[in-house]
Amino acid sequence: MTKDLKLVVEARTKTGSTGAHALRAAGRIPAVIYGHGATPEHVSFDARAFDDLMHHGGRTSIVTLSGAGKNATALVRDVQRHPVTHRVIHADLLRVSANEAVSSKQQVVTVGVARGVRDFGGVMDVIVHELEIEGPANRIPDHLEADVSNLGLHEHLTAADIALPTGFTMLTPGDTIVVAIEASKTAHDLEEAAAGAPEQAQPELIAPATESAE
Amino acid sequence: MLTPKRVKWRKVQRGRMTGRAVRGSTLTFGDFGLQAMEPCWMTNRQIEAARIAMTRHIKRGGKVWIKVFPDKPVTKKPAEVRMGSGKGNPEFWVAVVRPGRVLFELSGVEPAIAREALRLAAAKLPIGTKIVAREDVA
Repeated sequence: MTKDLKLVVEARTKTGSTGAHALRAAGRIPAVIYGHGATPEHVSFDARAFDDLMHHGGRTSIVTLSGAGKNATALVRDVQRHPVTHRVIHADLLRVSANEAVSSKQQVVTVGVARGVRDFGGVMDVIVHELEIEGPANRIPDHLEADVSNLGLHEHLTAADIALPTGFTMLTPGDTIVVAIEASKTAHDLEEAAAGAPEQAQPELIAPATESAE
Repeated sequence: MLTPKRVKWRKVQRGRMTGRAVRGSTLTFGDFGLQAMEPCWMTNRQIEAARIAMTRHIKRGGKVWIKVFPDKPVTKKPAEVRMGSGKGNPEFWVAVVRPGRVLFELSGVEPAIAREALRLAAAKLPIGTKIVAREDVA
């Protein structure tokens, strides 16, 4: 949704991993701005300012970029994180204008408790966590809500069943199963564990015949 | 316990565990996961112990994904045997785990139960781990 978000960016000349490492050590995040058919620009911004931005709706809102001789609006398109520390290591910004139609991937949030879970002890399995939608850049929702309260055991919701804000269309195929209610398998796993797993036979060998058998 | 059904070679070289997990470092199926913070060879017994600890805690309901598979055979020479005379016999199977790897994922249970189940599972493992939630990693 529309929020007044600002980010001060600086142009960067040193590209590649050495320049990016130096920027991260200095508390900045390397990023790229692309879109509208223009040449991509390499920029950087303050890591704390970006974290703050992401906590205040920066994932889905238009951000006004300033500094580096430019005043543009953009969307945070992709954020790369460190696999262990989860710190942001790079960001992609897409140039957009307010009413331009853009596609974006939105998180699916389930609402309510499914009938199959509440009454029959089933398990709710969210199969697809993100759906791709297209609509005006200044009205992208924070998430998509999937009402699961009427789902019984062995029933599912598809992408076509998810309600979208006005002006948005679903790009994910409508028959994609988003949420399913299944019977619990952990009970079966528990019985198996109580019985004790049988001793594993040696795996079948598919090596060429030249290997000497011991 | 997890073991391969078919293998190309009975014995393999030890290899290296340097670096971080390139793939499998994000939550893909569940809402909560257990992420490795150190490298290790995780045996199929350890994986099984962790799985049982989790499923016992969540009782009925919930869904568990195991995202590592022990596909590497480890050999050992018998006790009191002189060096030489070739490589020992395969004894157990391990998964090569690097920092960042999501080992288990859970969904369909309350956050408090999921976190406790993952804490119990972490106690069965030989390395330091971290519990991650979908909002942390997304």
